[in-house]
Amino acid sequence: MRFLFNSGRLIWVFQVLSGILLIVFVGLHWFFQHSIAGKGGPAYANVVTYLRRPVFFGLETTFLLVVIIHALLGVRAILLDLGLSIRALRWVNWGLLIVGTAALWYGLRLTLALAHVKG
Amino acid sequence: MLHRLSGIALVLYLILHLIVISQLYGGPERWDTFLKLTQSPFFPVFDVLLFGGVIFHGLNGLRLTLLSLGYVLRWQKKLFWLNLAVTLGLTIGYILVLLGN
Repeated sequence: MRFLFNSGRLIWVFQVLSGILLIVFVGLHWFFQHSIAGKGGPAYANVVTYLRRPVFFGLETTFLLVVIIHALLGVRAILLDLGLSIRALRWVNWGLLIVGTAALWYGLRLTLALAHVKG
Repeated sequence: MLHRLSGIALVLYLILHLIVISQLYGGPERWDTFLKLTQSPFFPVFDVLLFGGVIFHGLNGLRLTLLSLGYVLRWQKKLFWLNLAVTLGLTIGYILVLLGN
């Protein structure tokens, strides 16, 4: 944990790699979500059918993981630019880790629940 | 500055998106009620802003990465304006697609 957050270069690499991955993921997410959406938006049954397919389930959950990593590292970078103290940074690191874990847990729970809807 | 602002806006959108898709928990009826809300004229404006924000942030992120690695230093301003032009062009294209639908 300390090694990860103390290595600015490693964080920069994570930020760049997640950003590049996001370009691909956002494109795929946009394409597939629009392809299942009718004129008035995606019907409930279409969303469930989409998430039941392992390839799309994997795509959406990996997208969620990468977007959370990229977003939280971005927030951290902005806070650092604002002149955050080392002591405050430690709290921010833990706070972001908790927020990220909670967001991932929430998203995974929702995706799993939808993928297992009967019908 | 614009990169930071677009990033913060996208983080806020991500939070909103997670809240919105939680409507799926309520089953088809609740989801359909939400979908009716998306028919309001306000929604496509939001969609277009999101599209433009994502394109700008993504392209600018690539530009900043290249600059951090020591490439394209001489063209950094030109690339910024090119990014704005491409974002604007693609966003106008997206608006036309939405209007066509």
